[in-house]
Amino acid sequence: MSADARRGLSLWQEAWRKLRRQRIAMVCLAIIGLYAAVALYGEVEYRRHRIAQTTPAYQQQDIALQYQPPDLRHWCGTDNLGRDVGLRLVQGARVAFHVGIVTSLIAIPIGLVLGLLAGYFGGRLDDVIVWLYSTFASIPSLLFILAIAMAVGKGLTGIFLGVGLTAWVPLCRLIRSEVMKHRGRAYVQAARALGFSHGRILFRHILPNVFHIVIVNFTLRFPAAVGTEVIMSFLGIGVQGEPSWGIMINNARTRLWQGVWWEMGAVTLALFLLVLAFNLFGDALRDALDPRLRDSET
Amino acid sequence: MGRYILRRLLHLIPTVFGVIAITFVLFNLVGGSPGRMALGEKASPKQVDDFDEQRGFNKPVLWGTRIKTLALVDQDFARGAGSWTGVSNATLAAAAGAEPSYLVLRGDVKPPLAFPLRGGVEYEWTARWRQPGGAWLTSRLRMPGDSTLSTIGTLFKDAGPDVHVASITLRRVVANPFDSQFVNYLANLARFDLGTSTSANLPVAQLIREGIRPTMLLALPILVTELVVSVSIGLLCAFYRGRWLDRAMVFVSVALMSLNYLVWIVAGQYLLAYKLGWFPVWGFESVTYLFLPVLIGVISGLGANVRFYRTVMLDEVYRDYVRTAFAKGLGTRDVLFRHVLRNAMVPIVTNVVLAIPFLYTGSLLLEFYFGIPGIGYLSVNAINSSDPDVIRAVVLIGSILYVVVGLVGDLLTALVDPRIKLT
Repeated sequence: MSADARRGLSLWQEAWRKLRRQRIAMVCLAIIGLYAAVALYGEVEYRRHRIAQTTPAYQQQDIALQYQPPDLRHWCGTDNLGRDVGLRLVQGARVAFHVGIVTSLIAIPIGLVLGLLAGYFGGRLDDVIVWLYSTFASIPSLLFILAIAMAVGKGLTGIFLGVGLTAWVPLCRLIRSEVMKHRGRAYVQAARALGFSHGRILFRHILPNVFHIVIVNFTLRFPAAVGTEVIMSFLGIGVQGEPSWGIMINNARTRLWQGVWWEMGAVTLALFLLVLAFNLFGDALRDALDPRLRDSET
Repeated sequence: MGRYILRRLLHLIPTVFGVIAITFVLFNLVGGSPGRMALGEKASPKQVDDFDEQRGFNKPVLWGTRIKTLALVDQDFARGAGSWTGVSNATLAAAAGAEPSYLVLRGDVKPPLAFPLRGGVEYEWTARWRQPGGAWLTSRLRMPGDSTLSTIGTLFKDAGPDVHVASITLRRVVANPFDSQFVNYLANLARFDLGTSTSANLPVAQLIREGIRPTMLLALPILVTELVVSVSIGLLCAFYRGRWLDRAMVFVSVALMSLNYLVWIVAGQYLLAYKLGWFPVWGFESVTYLFLPVLIGVISGLGANVRFYRTVMLDEVYRDYVRTAFAKGLGTRDVLFRHVLRNAMVPIVTNVVLAIPFLYTGSLLLEFYFGIPGIGYLSVNAINSSDPDVIRAVVLIGSILYVVVGLVGDLLTALVDPRIKLT
């Protein structure tokens, strides 16, 4: 037995130890934490100004100051209305986190529950659920998201529903195949022999064993959701009124051709770093949590 | 083999039906009504009704003989007069104690219709009313829309001058209960009638047919080039596993993958077309207009594909037969391209086949921002101008393609790998 198994560590604790030893993963985690803090600050700013009915700093226009390159007062320069690009980036981070979290809150329960039910009970229920997710999976995803947003109306709700209602499918597939593997395992048969109800076995025994898939899926879906929101806001279907990275890229696009490089550069960098950090951390997390790579399992 | 195909085709039917149902729900139900969706919030009820009438959206959803109409909103007078305020000869009697308020009609009353009722269509009035001091009754009156009755007096037969009304509703009568939106949708699909575009005023089927060629001209080169390049790099990475080249490629792949698609398009257009002037910026005049979008399409997809193919190759490279091949003295090139590549074909073929249905939507963004008039361009325009028929058709065809191509992919996989038996 390995040292960790001898110490009787759980999968989570073992995974954390493995992760801690990887420098890149830790750096990425720190970056994510930094973005989360920035997003939180942005949220506080937003609420504060909404309650007080004042104009927030990032919406203050000053035409005299338009198109300023980065300097000490405006770290990322100003845009066409003289607004500080850096502060708008902060709001963009806030929107990105909103999207990532809410879409996960929609997609994860649906995918998890349906996957558990399909994998465990099999038979007709499985057929129905497989039909359901095959149908959703066969619709071209960007189009589907755009169509949902069109039907529900412009704004963040459309994005939440659109991304959430398409993102549950991969999770459901993964959970279903994993639960099917667990269904035949000795501990499940033992639980049945002990007379435990299906619900108890499913949620108290099998669920903890497949939960790591949910975590990894969340970490890898978050940047995809953010990316989709950016595209939708870019097309004008997403966030209205409030700054978001997609809207900023749209504004910066034409001005890039006039030589205003800082707006585009700043947004690209902000978006890129967040997505990269999540992707790298998600990969490392997946490797660390993979039960097959555990040191031993007697 | 034949039985397998038959079984898969049978499975195909519920999935396609599911997609038809979803597109129906999404476009006919969720948005309020397609008329409302296409014309927007500011359109008057008459305009929306005209639109709906033209497209057959004025019918019950699944089946039935009565359907609400936009001409008059249902009114329960216990809640107030609603649209009936200000109608001459009709006053609202306030609620008194336990008795809720009701409308008092005295003489001729013209109902506050949002637009004149249609001739040639039958309507039905339903009212719950009473004579003063009498019991509550419910009456119905059917009449054609162009009837000369401008009042609804005949609804209250043999009534005195005063009538108390508790609620009144108006419905269109549909002769055939199966003449519903859903049935019509299915019937149109069977005739390959995909509807009409509101912005272009052309049949959707024609628009899609015209858009296929540009989309294919863009998407096929991207698919082929991407396949060749990613598989080669993947093979290289698998072979030099662990060495700096591999590690660098993995990091670069993840980095490339993390750059948002939009950034590739914007940066590519700016740097290569505008600044350096190597490619034309926008349009579809000749083949040269395709070079830049294809280049951007390939590079942006490179990251994810290289990662995938690298994993696939790695699974193969560790097998025993590779070691045997090297031990027998075969060179790297032979081992990689003749043996490893062939055995890795199954996941490669699956991946390529799965990508084909997405060719059809033709990278919406590439087409839109480079002005290539394909199906993706059509879709984005339809979204921007709220054109439900077009989007619905594109989504439907895309899904059917996905399902059919999935079947073909499974068959191909079986052909390529003799170990797979299609039972």
